[in-house]
Amino acid sequence: MIPKFVEQRQIEEINGTIQISSIFEINGKSLAILTDIENSKTILSDMPLSLGEHVSLLLKEQTNIGVQTDLDIGSKVEGYGVFIFPYGPVSSGIPEAGGFKLITYGERIVKLIPQINFKKRGIERRVIGMKPEDALLLVERSAGNFSSSYSTCFITAVENILGLEIASSAKWIRAVAIELERIYNHLHVFGRLGEAASQNVATAQVNALKERVLRINAKYYGHRYLFGFNKIGGVNYGPFTTDERKGLVSAIKVIAKEFSNIVAFFLSSRIFLDRLQETAKLPKQDALNLGAVGPSARGSGIDMDDRLMYPIEPYNDIFIGIETDKEGDTMARTMVRIQEIASSTVILEQLLDRMPSDNINKPQLSSSNSSSSLPCNSDKDFSFCRIESPSGDLIHVVQLDAITGRIKFLHIRPPSLVNWLPLSKSLEGNVFTDFQFAFESFGLSYADSDR
Amino acid sequence: MFISFIIGSLIGRISKKVSYFFGIIGSVLGIVLALLVLLTGSSLEFDLWKTTQTSSFEFFVSPFNSYFLLISCFVWLGTCVYSIGYDDEDYTNDLSSLLIFTILSMVVTILSGDSISFLVGWESMTIASFFMILKGKGNADTIRKAAFLFLAFGEVSTVFIMLSFSGIFSSIGNFNFLASSSSAIHASGPLSSWILVTALIGFGLKMGIAPFHMSEWLPIAHSNAPSNASALLSSTLTLMGVYGFINVVVHLGQYELWWGWITLVMGGISALLGSLFASVSEHTKGLPAYSTIENNGLIFVAVGTFILASYYHLTLLGDFALIAALYHAFSHSISKASLFLVMGWISKIKKSFDLNNQNPISKTVRQVGYFPGLFTILSLSAVPPLAGFVSEWMILETLFQSFRFGDIASQIIGTIVGAITALAAGIIIIAMTKAYGFGIIWPEMKDDLETKETKSKIERSKSIKGIFYYFLFLILGIGVAAPVIFLLASNSLSQILHTKVFDSLVTGLLGIPTYFVILSGKPFGGFSPTFTAVFMVCLMIVPVAISRLGDKWRIRRTFGWFGGQTQPSATSSELYNSFSYSTPLRIMLKFLFKTKEKIVEIGGVRRPIILSPEEYFVEVEVLDVFKQIYDTLTKYALSLSFYTAMTVMPGRLGLYLIYIMTAFIFVILYISLIK
Amino acid sequence: MIKSWFIHGIRNGILTTKYPKTLPTTDEIPIKSIPPFGSKDSDWLKGKQICPTNAIEDQEKNVDFGKCIFCRRCSDTGFDFEDQNEMRNIALQAEGLLNIENRDKMHEDFKKKIMTFRKSLHILMIDVGSCNACNLEVLNLSNPYYDLTRLGIFFTNSPKHADVLVVVGALNYAMVEVLKRTYESMPNPKIVISIGACSISGGIFQDTESFVSPIHDVIPVDVTVPGCPPTPIQILEGLLLSMGKNNKQQTAEEKHNPPD
Repeated sequence: MIPKFVEQRQIEEINGTIQISSIFEINGKSLAILTDIENSKTILSDMPLSLGEHVSLLLKEQTNIGVQTDLDIGSKVEGYGVFIFPYGPVSSGIPEAGGFKLITYGERIVKLIPQINFKKRGIERRVIGMKPEDALLLVERSAGNFSSSYSTCFITAVENILGLEIASSAKWIRAVAIELERIYNHLHVFGRLGEAASQNVATAQVNALKERVLRINAKYYGHRYLFGFNKIGGVNYGPFTTDERKGLVSAIKVIAKEFSNIVAFFLSSRIFLDRLQETAKLPKQDALNLGAVGPSARGSGIDMDDRLMYPIEPYNDIFIGIETDKEGDTMARTMVRIQEIASSTVILEQLLDRMPSDNINKPQLSSSNSSSSLPCNSDKDFSFCRIESPSGDLIHVVQLDAITGRIKFLHIRPPSLVNWLPLSKSLEGNVFTDFQFAFESFGLSYADSDR
Repeated sequence: MFISFIIGSLIGRISKKVSYFFGIIGSVLGIVLALLVLLTGSSLEFDLWKTTQTSSFEFFVSPFNSYFLLISCFVWLGTCVYSIGYDDEDYTNDLSSLLIFTILSMVVTILSGDSISFLVGWESMTIASFFMILKGKGNADTIRKAAFLFLAFGEVSTVFIMLSFSGIFSSIGNFNFLASSSSAIHASGPLSSWILVTALIGFGLKMGIAPFHMSEWLPIAHSNAPSNASALLSSTLTLMGVYGFINVVVHLGQYELWWGWITLVMGGISALLGSLFASVSEHTKGLPAYSTIENNGLIFVAVGTFILASYYHLTLLGDFALIAALYHAFSHSISKASLFLVMGWISKIKKSFDLNNQNPISKTVRQVGYFPGLFTILSLSAVPPLAGFVSEWMILETLFQSFRFGDIASQIIGTIVGAITALAAGIIIIAMTKAYGFGIIWPEMKDDLETKETKSKIERSKSIKGIFYYFLFLILGIGVAAPVIFLLASNSLSQILHTKVFDSLVTGLLGIPTYFVILSGKPFGGFSPTFTAVFMVCLMIVPVAISRLGDKWRIRRTFGWFGGQTQPSATSSELYNSFSYSTPLRIMLKFLFKTKEKIVEIGGVRRPIILSPEEYFVEVEVLDVFKQIYDTLTKYALSLSFYTAMTVMPGRLGLYLIYIMTAFIFVILYISLIK
Repeated sequence: MIKSWFIHGIRNGILTTKYPKTLPTTDEIPIKSIPPFGSKDSDWLKGKQICPTNAIEDQEKNVDFGKCIFCRRCSDTGFDFEDQNEMRNIALQAEGLLNIENRDKMHEDFKKKIMTFRKSLHILMIDVGSCNACNLEVLNLSNPYYDLTRLGIFFTNSPKHADVLVVVGALNYAMVEVLKRTYESMPNPKIVISIGACSISGGIFQDTESFVSPIHDVIPVDVTVPGCPPTPIQILEGLLLSMGKNNKQQTAEEKHNPPD
């Protein structure tokens, strides 16, 4: 089930403006999800297998579970005094199980090799044969801080296959959750940056705001990290009543306003700005070539956002302002995040204001599939969905077994996974002390890339 | 003593061990002689022959030069014993001859009572050292270059010293000013300035004082020489420069203000540059050689303070500054010889002079340098109560008292140089930790290396261990027994300064008995190295007692923490190295080092998201401006001398040089005879 | 600038929770994230069938909070809600020495250990395969709402300085050796707190290929904090238990060693 707004075509040659976002093998055929950045379009295409072999190892599912992997294709660094500085998996800078190999001659980073899969759980393999609603529990726990993006992405793909036409308001409530998630993640990133710059008072204020958003999540969605609010065919929790919606909007507006005050404090601190400006520059061409997504790409001046490229309901219905910055440095990425908090507040306002009032938890089969008695049409049928998670483009490809209705194939392309190489590239030639800023500004999560 | 050294140098061709043995006997005799003279205070004179009515060839053992003889003999004793173990089939028999001959000529230099024999000793010392450097291991071309550079600068220094001595001669009318300690040179005006400036340049060249050190003659020359020769050159050859300079300075009766300024500034800059360049040096012997520049700079600073204090008739401060210079010469010579010998031994086993080299060596070999190396670097980084701390404390104390100077310019210069010196003393810690960490206790041990091949090396390491501990004992001794050294230094100066400094500066204080507290002025700071040592030992007793007497469960041995990963092996590319240790300094002080960082990316063609392997090539260079200037100069000078040599005498350049030098010495002798 | 921050701080007032002096509020422990209790037998049986992690034991009429991922499916089946305060206490249940055979002996050791840490505690977090939510909740402890430092608890960066090892996540094969090394590197006495259903039992990830075993099979665990993820207050409860500052300490002891 491919939505109508997705173009399907053969590809002859991949040039700069069309990016390979994901590659997966389904039914013995290699397919690719492409992004036409210029026209903000999603393209589904056949991928010649010969080309597929050379494509970066990142996009393919890595099958070695329980072994850590170096994200590197045989880099060689030669020179007097060059050594490898191993960092992680238990380290002070990264609160997760993940590491880096910094190739350096002391202080200056020549090459950065991310080490991932310290906690690869193999969710794509685990869910095969599970019921979609059971799989959902695993999927939304792939990356705890991107949970609502994950669950919405997965559920949308499943509902596409099943042909479930669910209530609009449920979709809108999911979108609200995604925007809330974006706000608290951006606040988290900003807090981490402030902590790295030793701006302790200001950081405490930002962290307090983040805590308030988490409490809003808990109040309206029943869970601080938005686990379990989503279900196939609707939502379990959410701001159902008008009062709740109003309360949510006003709370978020207050937070956004306080945040803008704190940002003004930050931006008047020379110490903070000095650490961020000209740090870890990612030029636009590199960002394009390496396939950066999300705020990292937008910081380098690439105008891409899944809310435009794959406009599922309600994103096709509301105004979305895309924030970009040309500089490509840590400051640019941070500014994009700061502006996105403001724009997400605007989106939330629109969403909660204009939310359709239909019966939320009454899914029905859509007209096109209503004739079929099977859960889905045929066993060749699969569906995919793209969601703009806080760190960027998240892709789920789902295939269900035609008879049992259980999952036959799941492919997740997490945003963090493709952003490792841009991070690595941007840090070349920077010094050790810039590392924390660069790492935090990309907003990467090992849990996300190790799904 | 003479005879012993002469036999030693002659016999070297036949048997190394016997030659070094004679060297040891000579050194022991030298120590005994020097101590006798220093303690009794009487001086001996041997007139060889009269050259003119007023001048004669004479050897002269005064308390002043016997102090330097004492320092040198301590170093020579250690070096000769070390050489017996070190000098093996790698080097020819000539080395021992040259080494003992260098020692002999240094004895001549120190004991000479007249400037002619001083120059004879000075010149033969330079030539012998030149040939000794030629014996070094490594790239033949580099060594030849280094040796010729050494020779060139040695000759320039001789020329300046001759100019200085000629100035003295025209002032007092004889050559024997070195012997007659009582006769101050009563030159005045431009002549005395001439004497001082030429002496400053002449001896400064030997000591590697800025801006002359920037040719790197000292580091290059020393680092390519064999280790025992390096120790000899770096600690005693530069000591000759100190001796000569202090000698000339104390003989000048009246001082100009700007002499003090020049000496202070040159000393301060040398100390700072020496410590900085030592920190970024990657050569097991280049690093200590740069550190020598730093220490000689400190001595210059002390002498500069002496000049300023004397100008203002601050007798006590002046005396203290001079004693500080002498004390520092002592502590530095011993510590530096020790550092060269320990690091030289490890390099020999490692078969590399590169600090970054990761050739693993066995645990037993490595352990011989643990304690001696540790105390040596602690002394050189001025940690109480070791020798280096006492002397650096004394030098900084003199600069603290720069407020006593009469004019504002001297006060400001004194303060700024004080700051620079303190900075240098701080920065040298980087270099010293690097030397210890990467040059002595690095790399990781490998027990499986203790096989047949290294058996002999282990045996030799064990036998050579003793000499390291000899130096360790000396370093501790000079520090803890500081008042004794203070007594010796003040005795050696007593005839020149006509005062007994010891009585006025060494007292008791706050319950510490008399003769244990060194005062740096009245009323000013005081310090008791002996009681600091006692106090520190007492402090150490507590944790040692806890760890020894405590319950068993208190002691737990565990592995290191590597971020959760396993400890990298000795040959792993994940090991931190010496180059990276000092790279932050290279990057931070870009303006000084003229660091060039080049990261060249080879390959790494990127099509959209299709990646190919990347290759990088990294190159970091540290450069200094002075070196460029001197490089150009030496290039022209070398090519000029080369062409001259080829046209005048198309033989072997080395032979030709011997011929020239010998002719030069004989001409000097002849001139002095016919007069 | 300083003045502005000062005014900003004054205007915001005191955010920090009153816990542990009073019970936590509903903001701090959201009611909706707590699994309900049932009383009817049929409810228990139904719950057992529906539970994704086998946390509901219908025979004993017990919920194993070490396994519960708080998915709230069982609450959809119509379980009765009981007293909310009671449930808050259950959510707060941080228990010493879960599932360990020689519990009494270990308990004596534990009592000795917590005497050492009464005044101050340094914690190191290690992630052995979590989804990042537990990590964030542990990090949240340092924000003004919870403010760890007021209780004398500090984060450290090296196991060599740590008193408490906070383990989050389902143990992954790639992290087993790392976990062991980290535990070995810590000085004695040391306390291990296992946080979240994943580290206690494997949680939702217990059937994945990468899952090794619960943490307590690899290193001795002293305190467990259930939840998916546990809220900062619950984690704080576990930390206070390791400091002997917890009010419930007494009751927990009585539970294991009932007075005669």
